[in-house]
Amino acid sequence: MGVVVKLFIVIITVLISWIGYKVNNIIKPPPLPRLEETWWGNGDPWRTDKSIRPFRVNISDKILEDLNYRLDHARPFTPPLEGIQQQYGMNTKLLKEIADFWRNKYNWKEREKFFNQYPHYLTSIQGLDIHFIHVKPKSIHHRVLPLLLLHGWPGSVREFYELIPLLTTPQKDRNFVFEVIIPSLPGYGFSQAAVRPGLGAAQMAVVFKNLMKRLGFEKYYIQGGDFGAIILHHLAVLFPEVVLGFHSNMCAIYTPLSYMKTALGIIYPTWFTREDHTERVYPVTKILVDRLRETGYLHIQATKPDTIGVSLNDSPLGLAAYILEKFTTGTNISYQNHEDGGLKNVYDYSDLLDNVMLYWVTGSMPTAMRLYSETFNLNHMSLGITRIPIQVPSGCIRFSNDFYSSDGILNEIYPNLLHLTDHEGGHFAAFQLPKVFAADIFTAVGKFEEFNANNKH
Amino acid sequence: AIVIIVLKVVDKFRQLFKIPPLPYLEDTWWGPRNKSEEDESIKPFTINVSDEIINDLHQRLNNARPFTPPLEGIQHQYGLNTKLLTEIVEFWRTKYNWREREIFLNKFPQFTISVQGLRLHYIHVKPIDPDGLRVLPLLLLHGWPGSVREFYEILPFLTNPQPGYNFVFEVIAPSLPGYGFSEAAVRPGLGAVQMAVVFKNLMDKLGFKKYYIQGGDWGGVIVQNMATIFPEQVLGLHSNMCFIRTLSSNIKLFLYSFWPTLLLPREHADKVYPLSSKFANTILESGYLHLQATKPDTVGVALNDSPVGLAAYILEKFITWTNSDWKNLEDGGLMKKYTYTDLLDNVMIYWVTNSITTSMRLYSETFNKAQTALGITK
Repeated sequence: MGVVVKLFIVIITVLISWIGYKVNNIIKPPPLPRLEETWWGNGDPWRTDKSIRPFRVNISDKILEDLNYRLDHARPFTPPLEGIQQQYGMNTKLLKEIADFWRNKYNWKEREKFFNQYPHYLTSIQGLDIHFIHVKPKSIHHRVLPLLLLHGWPGSVREFYELIPLLTTPQKDRNFVFEVIIPSLPGYGFSQAAVRPGLGAAQMAVVFKNLMKRLGFEKYYIQGGDFGAIILHHLAVLFPEVVLGFHSNMCAIYTPLSYMKTALGIIYPTWFTREDHTERVYPVTKILVDRLRETGYLHIQATKPDTIGVSLNDSPLGLAAYILEKFTTGTNISYQNHEDGGLKNVYDYSDLLDNVMLYWVTGSMPTAMRLYSETFNLNHMSLGITRIPIQVPSGCIRFSNDFYSSDGILNEIYPNLLHLTDHEGGHFAAFQLPKVFAADIFTAVGKFEEFNANNKH
Repeated sequence: AIVIIVLKVVDKFRQLFKIPPLPYLEDTWWGPRNKSEEDESIKPFTINVSDEIINDLHQRLNNARPFTPPLEGIQHQYGLNTKLLTEIVEFWRTKYNWREREIFLNKFPQFTISVQGLRLHYIHVKPIDPDGLRVLPLLLLHGWPGSVREFYEILPFLTNPQPGYNFVFEVIAPSLPGYGFSEAAVRPGLGAVQMAVVFKNLMDKLGFKKYYIQGGDWGGVIVQNMATIFPEQVLGLHSNMCFIRTLSSNIKLFLYSFWPTLLLPREHADKVYPLSSKFANTILESGYLHLQATKPDTVGVALNDSPVGLAAYILEKFITWTNSDWKNLEDGGLMKKYTYTDLLDNVMIYWVTNSITTSMRLYSETFNKAQTALGITK
């Protein structure tokens, strides 16, 4: 071979190696960062009460009267455009129906009793009072497994109420049952909000690790969806030694490699995606446009939460419209073509308003939305924790109307995926399908238990 | 076969860059009434808001729910700082006098007229003493979250003789459909292109066949559309937002990033480059646009029910869009260029007319496939 040809081969090899090196740098997970135990509140770290205090939901009459006044004096709604259902957002004909129910049928005092049927507590973690529900199973004949359940936005602990009895009651053919710990995220509901910037998903993982430690749990199972899943992804990566297993109903992947795989799949969709699921990923342009149509809230909350927060905390119907719109398209995207948003098919207005009330009576929507700006910013994202694989046993349930990750992409972040289910349902799955949800958790944890037993060192 | 492939690629390329033909645009009936019932007369208009609305406003200002304090060390980086909002609301509650402002806002002659089924509000100022000067008709269009209020200070300059010029303007400054005192469309489809049709028809009804047009923000987009679709009507266009977004302009933008001074003078290079930081800034400032282009009816409920919420939403823009450095000032810098009274006049126009939701629909009516497919901005 001539000198020129040899030189050409050398240059090509060097070029390919350089590209490979660059790509590998992009693909490989970043190193595990160390996170500080920041003090998020106002109190003095040396003099904070570390006890666990019982808590009851008990909203003042003043707040309830103010709410009724606002409902009675709501400004006129702008009627929807002709022929439009929910395609421009919350249809005010539906909102009127909900407003009437809220004012005339919804009874907060009764709902308070409902809320208080489970024991609530507060304890101060890193300067913030964290609210949580803690339910122990009644049975003593089964192994009791601690389970941390995390809600997301615009959800709350309320989403898990129907799940609690199913998880804490012995199931046929199961030799274990759960003890559940269900906190409100910092800045949500009855949990205090940070006074200084920086409390993103990663930092919330630290707070919850400390919460569970305060409650005396060395190792436990974890379950979450929406931001709950994101926070628990961080927890599983940062503190694998405390996590016995991770069940998620939002196994979303945000890595460069996964984007590359999805792009490659344009040529041949079944490379990484199951044949009967290809329409959930392709065509990519359609999926992106659909996503774009539903993420205006994410964009504004990730950039100007304090602006939008003012109106949402001053207008109960404004708050309800904003939250309940998510329950329509989040449960089933086709509900945007229903004038009533399809809500009545799936939920009771009472249950939906319970969740809205948790934001209203605590005035927590503005601080809740800050989780987006604290997480979706360069500082937080450069920690890169969601690009680090989760080594603990994990399980994913993919609901048909929720965010989807292909089988061939999951393994990058969930190399130890012991359980994968698909089921009809939406983003608020625990709320919508508690029996299915509980059953899936039992199944997944059954597999985790087996794995853990076989892998004891 | 290679020749065929090459020809196909070249043809595809040509199609991408080709200027599309002007589409046919109907005179859609946008309003709630039947054509036969529509009152076609021009009616004088005076702003006269009911006591009920003003009392209700004060009740809401007095009983606003407590604001969430900003995070430590933060000014407006997370959005409008509620310490500033407290100050503004206090001013609104105690010093701002709507009845006085009404007198101010009524200083120019206002009218309403029906165009395509919508009763549109407009200010119409003729020069008092043209004294031999040529009188040129000028259509002034506002944008979002603005209103006709933005033009009050310049109207006297435009309609009075200026030294060195042998012409003076007769100004028509309408409220966009769905904004302020103009009626809103009852059926979908009234985007920026269709608004160009509406305003051409407005000027036509007022007896103007040829005129000058000026706009910024949505006004800039609409006047651009008018000049494209009705060049025979437009004597000249002045815009303070000359917006170009075509495939070839995007390609140029990208290519010139390797050598910016081939495209622009050195002192302007940092207005465009680096692309990445400009893009990042756009993302930071366009949350409202994304939300309004997709779910205006959702966010509109809260904004129309909470005056403090509406003020926060609107005034945040007056901070960041006047000077992006003002985000780092706790008081948002507003008093450097504006008075709270003037700013609140604009907010009040949205509040007293319940028009925030319909104003935001302009985004969803314009940022969609159907409107983009018309290709007018190419």
